[in-house]
Amino acid sequence: MNTNEVDILLVDDSQDDVDLTLHALRAENLANHVFVARDGEEALEFLFCTGPHAERSIDHPPKLVLLDLKMPKVDGMQVLKQIKGDERTRTIPVVLMTSSREERDMVSGYDLGVNSYIQKPMDFDEFRKMVKLLGLYWLVTNRPPVTNGRTHAAGQAK
Amino acid sequence: MSSAGTKLGKQDSATLEVKLRALLVEDNALDAALVVRALHKDGFDVIVDVVQDEAAFTKALRARPPEVVLADYNLPNWKGMEALHVLRKEGLDIPMVLVSGALGDVTAVECIRQGATDYVLKDGLARLPEVIRRALREKQERSLRHKMEDDLAKKVDELARSNADLEQFAYVASHDLQEPLRMVTAYTQLLSERYRGKLDDNADKYIGYASEGAQRMQVLIQDLLAFSRVGRNGVASGTVDCNAVMIDVLQTLATAIQESSAVVTYGELPTVWADRTQMTQVFQNLVGNAIKFRGKEPPVVSVQAEKTAQRWQFSVSDNGIGIAPEYVENIFVVFQRLHGRTEYPGNGIGLAICKKIAERNGGKIWVESQPGSGSSFKFTLPFHSPDDEEGARS
Repeated sequence: MNTNEVDILLVDDSQDDVDLTLHALRAENLANHVFVARDGEEALEFLFCTGPHAERSIDHPPKLVLLDLKMPKVDGMQVLKQIKGDERTRTIPVVLMTSSREERDMVSGYDLGVNSYIQKPMDFDEFRKMVKLLGLYWLVTNRPPVTNGRTHAAGQAK
Repeated sequence: MSSAGTKLGKQDSATLEVKLRALLVEDNALDAALVVRALHKDGFDVIVDVVQDEAAFTKALRARPPEVVLADYNLPNWKGMEALHVLRKEGLDIPMVLVSGALGDVTAVECIRQGATDYVLKDGLARLPEVIRRALREKQERSLRHKMEDDLAKKVDELARSNADLEQFAYVASHDLQEPLRMVTAYTQLLSERYRGKLDDNADKYIGYASEGAQRMQVLIQDLLAFSRVGRNGVASGTVDCNAVMIDVLQTLATAIQESSAVVTYGELPTVWADRTQMTQVFQNLVGNAIKFRGKEPPVVSVQAEKTAQRWQFSVSDNGIGIAPEYVENIFVVFQRLHGRTEYPGNGIGLAICKKIAERNGGKIWVESQPGSGSSFKFTLPFHSPDDEEGARS
């Protein structure tokens, strides 16, 4: 896959969860341009085009970052902080997905500028519906922000 | 000054030698010797330090803590009563007896008021041993009482902590269990979607069992979370009109009421000091149970409240199947069920939650019932606000 043509950056450390999300996305034909980062560190390397992703162009951000909260090393909240704290990446829509019901997490998520905060439904059908809704909304319905010319241009290029 | 009484006391105590470490605050060596002799005579094996001023007193206190301080009221360089302040400053609970040549009644009373244990005149030293004995006895009782109070406080502390730990454990455990369980339910569902009818009959059956089990566990975990949340969300947060709560409850239970042709009535209910969500949970569980555990007749449920001397007493009575006497305690325990799941669905969490809510609000819950002739669940709650002991609004 050309990593400059990624629609969704899925950041999650558990393979079973990743498979479920991919399964749900595939059912809606939304899984063709998904890049999976195994932890927060890899997500940051991808987004900021460093390390193994040095060849990537930061002008081609994903249309959506699906971010798991609980991860080893760099957790979701830290990834969010970096994305929203950097001029070059702060307009990328980020959706936090968590099984946590802690209000604390939600509040700090929004404080850091998360675009959406979602609690993963326990029921698989509900989960599928939710992923479908998310994918369709952020990739089809939503228009990416025009504040950053380059980001916008990159979005249009596809 | 030796009366018959003190002589008798002398003989009694002389039979048991009592070791005593005393600190004398005294400038007159002869007086000090007289004190020691009076104590010896009365059976005290006494070791004394004699000091005259604050510095020496403090030093002796620290070097060899005495069991009793005997202080002259008048000293050339110091005042006997000052010794009391030093004792306090050092945090020592050591009885102090004033031993003085002359002490007016007013002064004596003032000294005792300030914390001296007693006073003995120098020409009445025969009284001293008894005074010391009493002081030591009182001190022992005092420290025993303190120790008991401390122990009790420690126990209460430990209990509170372990309770909080348990709450936290239940919450974290059930929370963390959800994540792996989500995987089990999701993948068994995927398995059955993709491979139903493609393997053999057994495979379909096994997959069915697995997903049913996982779903049941999901409900259990959610119940456990609900149960532990009762503890986490504190108590009584405002006034709650129980009539309004009942309206909500009847709405929530509308389907169940309709399906069972139940008749649910409630009398004039009071306003109580509680958490609205929790009160709703209590009434909903009790009325819901009354409908669920019905007999052959359509359920008739009555919710009432009456004012007792100290608190409100609520009752939720039904004409249902009732409960055998041996189970009336069990039913309030988490996950205790008396019936098969196919007979009456549920996980046995409802009454446990009711009990927790009632108790956390300073009330009690119990059931009065006979098998076959209905049940009456009763619970009490304090009057609606701590400031309104009368609870007159009914």
